[in-house]
Amino acid sequence: MLLNVSKVTVQFGGVTAVADLSLEIGRGELIGIIGPNGAGKTTLMRVITGMVRPTSGRVFLKGTDITGWTIDQRVRSGLALAQQIVKPLATFTLAENVALACGSRRMGSPWRAMTTLDRKAELEQAKALLELVGIGAAAHDYPSEVPLGYLKCLELARALALEPDLILLDEPLAGLNQAEAAEMADRIAALVTDARSIILIEHNLREVVRICPRLFVQDHGRNLDFGPTQQVMANPKVRAAYLGGGAD
Amino acid sequence: MAYEIILLTTMAIMVLFALSLNVITGFCGQVSLGHAAFYGIGAYTGAMLTKAGWPLLAALLPAAGLAGLIGFLVGLMSLRVRHDFLAITTMGIAFLFVGFVRKQEWLGGEIGISGIPAFAFGRVGLLVVAVVCTGLFAAVTIYLKRSWMGFGFDSISDDEDTARILGIDVPRFKLWAFVIGTAGAGVAGALYAHHVRYIGPDSFGFVESVTVLAMVIIGGIGSIWAVALAAAVLSALPLWFQFVDDYKLLIYGLLVFAVMRFSPNGIAGALQSLKRRAR
Amino acid sequence: MLALDLLLQGIVQGAIYALIALGLTLIYGLLRILHVAHAALFTLGGYIGVIVTNQTGSLAFALVVSMVLVGVLGILIYRVAYKPLLGKSPLVALIASIGLFIAFEEGFRIVFGSYGLSFEDPPLRTQVDLGGGLLISHSRLLIVGMAVVILSILAWLSTRTRTGIAWKATVTDPQIASSFGINIERVRYLNFFIGSALAAAAGVMVVLLTNLVEPTMGAVASYKALAIIVLGGLGSVRGTLVAALAIGIVESFGTVYIGHILDRDALAFAFLVVALMVRPQGLFKAD
Repeated sequence: MLLNVSKVTVQFGGVTAVADLSLEIGRGELIGIIGPNGAGKTTLMRVITGMVRPTSGRVFLKGTDITGWTIDQRVRSGLALAQQIVKPLATFTLAENVALACGSRRMGSPWRAMTTLDRKAELEQAKALLELVGIGAAAHDYPSEVPLGYLKCLELARALALEPDLILLDEPLAGLNQAEAAEMADRIAALVTDARSIILIEHNLREVVRICPRLFVQDHGRNLDFGPTQQVMANPKVRAAYLGGGAD
Repeated sequence: MAYEIILLTTMAIMVLFALSLNVITGFCGQVSLGHAAFYGIGAYTGAMLTKAGWPLLAALLPAAGLAGLIGFLVGLMSLRVRHDFLAITTMGIAFLFVGFVRKQEWLGGEIGISGIPAFAFGRVGLLVVAVVCTGLFAAVTIYLKRSWMGFGFDSISDDEDTARILGIDVPRFKLWAFVIGTAGAGVAGALYAHHVRYIGPDSFGFVESVTVLAMVIIGGIGSIWAVALAAAVLSALPLWFQFVDDYKLLIYGLLVFAVMRFSPNGIAGALQSLKRRAR
Repeated sequence: MLALDLLLQGIVQGAIYALIALGLTLIYGLLRILHVAHAALFTLGGYIGVIVTNQTGSLAFALVVSMVLVGVLGILIYRVAYKPLLGKSPLVALIASIGLFIAFEEGFRIVFGSYGLSFEDPPLRTQVDLGGGLLISHSRLLIVGMAVVILSILAWLSTRTRTGIAWKATVTDPQIASSFGINIERVRYLNFFIGSALAAAAGVMVVLLTNLVEPTMGAVASYKALAIIVLGGLGSVRGTLVAALAIGIVESFGTVYIGHILDRDALAFAFLVVALMVRPQGLFKAD
C-alpha cells in the first residue's frame, strides 16, 4: 500500500470539513477525486500533504505513519504536490526552480548541502524535465516572463523532479482551454508508472472520466463512492449529489 | 597614522558584523532587528575571558561559540514567527539581552566593563586580526552562497512555503543561517571589545541593531561585496563628518532615508541598473 | 493598596501607549509599513504642546494646535517618504523610516537644544483622593479621561459616519474598498492625519506627567509601540488597545516585583516574546 488515509476527520471551529474519510492507494494507480465546490477535496489534499492536521485519524505513506510530519519531510520521503495556484520561485529561472527540487531529497541534510558546490547535474536534469513537459525552450526565462500555461507545466516538472512515489495534482487543468486541457490530461496519464501513482483533484469531469481508471467522489466532507470509473458514474447517489446537483 | 589604524579597525569589525547579519537577513531572508545582542554576547564573553587572563585569539572561539549557541536558541524561537512578527521578536530579544546585562553585577551592570586588556600585538596587530577574521568570514559566506545551502537559502528567502513543497528542510536551513550569522557577530563583538576596551549595555542597543541592518539593506540584500562596501562607508561616515560634528547624525539619518527613497535596492541595485543602462 | 496603585499606574501608562500605538496600527493595517518615525511625531507633539502652552497659557489650545500640526506633518511624511516606496519590500520602508526617525531626533536636538523643555507653570499638578487614600494627580486623570474620550470618538466615527465606514472598510480590505468606489488615497491621508494627531496627543500627555520633553523622548516609544502593535496582532485596533493596557500593567507590576532581574523595557519585551511564542500571530487576529 502506497498511501493509506485512515478515518480522517477535520474540523475548523465548529465546521466539519472532512468526516471520517478513508482512502487507500496502491502503486501504479491514477485516481480522480471529484466533488462539488466545498466538498472537502482541498482539505483532504491538505491532510495528505501536511498543510492541515487532522482532528482525528491517521495518514500512512509506504506503511509509515506520517500524520505529524511537516510537508517538507513528506516531500523528501516520496510525496510531491502541484498546486492549483502556481507558485514559482520568482527570483529563480524555470530551470533553477526545477533543479532545486531535483536536489532537495539528497540535500535534506544541511551538512550535505553545505559541502556540495556543484549544481550542473541537477540543472541538466531540470532541463530534461522541462523538455519532457514541453517547455524546454523557456528553461532560462524567469517565471514573470512566461505565460500561465508554462507555469502549470513548471509545477508538473517540479513535482517530477522530486522523483516521487505519489503525486498530488490540484486542478492542473483549471484555466486551460479544451485542447490544452486534453493535452495536459494525456501528459498526466503518461506519468503513471508501475512504481508511481497520481491523485488528480479536478473539476474538468470530461478529462477526469477519460483518463482516470478509478474515481473517489466526495460530497459535504463525506465519501459517496470509490471504485472503477464506470461503476461510480452509474451510481444514482453520485448522479444526484454531484451531477444532478447542478454543480459544474 | 594611529587615527587611520583605528578607523580601519572600526571598518573591518563593522564589515564583519554586517556580513554576519547578511547571512541571516540577506541570504535566508530572516529579518533581525536584534543582531547587536549577539555582537554584545561576543563582546562580553571576549572581555570577561581576556580579563581572566586568556589571550584574545583564544577568546574568539568561545565568543563565537556562545553567540552561536544563543543564536541557535533564538533561531528555534524564530521558527514560530514570520516576517514582521519575526523582526519584532528579534528586537525583543535584543532588549532582553540589554535589560539582563544591566542588572548583572558580575557583568558590570549599568557601568559596564572597563580596563579590557589591550591586544598583545598592539593596535596594528588588532587591525591585522580584524582584517583576517573579516576576510575569512567573507570567504565563508561567498562559499556558502555558491553551495547548495546558498541555493536553499535563496529559495527560503524567495518563498518559504514553496521551498517546503520542493522538499527543502526550511527549519534546519534557517537554524544554520542563525548559527553562522550569530557566531560571526560574536567574533565581531569580541574584537570590538578589545578595540574600544570599554563596553557597557548601551553599546549593544536598538540603535546598533538598526545600524547594522541598515548597512545590509543599503548595501543591497544578499550581495556580499555591496554589503561590505556599505558597512565600511557607513561605519566611517560619522568620523568623516567630524567637521560638521553637530549635524553628523542628522546627515546620517537623512542619507539612510535618501538611499532607500531613491535606490530601494541599495548600492547593489543601483550599480545593476547603471550597468543595464550602459548596455 | 500597593496593588491598586500599581494597577492605576499601569492603566495610565497603557492609555499613553494605546494612543501612540493606535496610529501605528492604523498605518500598518493600511500600508503594511512599520512606521518607526511615528515616534518622532510623538516627540514633536510634546514640543509643540509645551511651547504653545508656555506662550498662550492654555493647555487645551496647545493640545489642539499640536494635534493639527503634527497630523498635517504625518500626511506630508506619507506623501514624501512612503508613497513612492509602497510597491517595494516592506524592509525598504522600515529602513527609510528609521533613517527619518534618526534625522528627526537630531533635528529636535539642533532646533530645541539637548536639554529639553519644560512647562513654565506645570498644569494639573494637584492630586485627588479616589477614596481609601488612593491618590491620583489631575494630570493622570486627564490622561486616562482623554484617552477614553478620543478612542470613543474614533469608535463612533468609524461606525456611524460615511467617511468612518469607508475608512474602516479600506483598512480591512483595500482592494474590495476601492472596487466600491472608495478613494483609497484619501483614506490614507486621513489615516496618517488621525494616527499622527493621536501620537501628538500622547506626546503632550507624557510631558504633562514628566514635565520634560527631550529630543530622545521618542526612542522608547518607537520600539515599544512596535512591540504593542505586534502583540495586538498587527493591524487589529482592538488587539492594540488590549496589548497597550497589558504592557502598561505588566511593566508597572514587573518593575516592582522582578525589577532586580530585568529592567523595565526588557520586561515588556519578555512578555512580548513569551506571548508570541504561545500565539505567533499576536493576541488577536487582524480585523
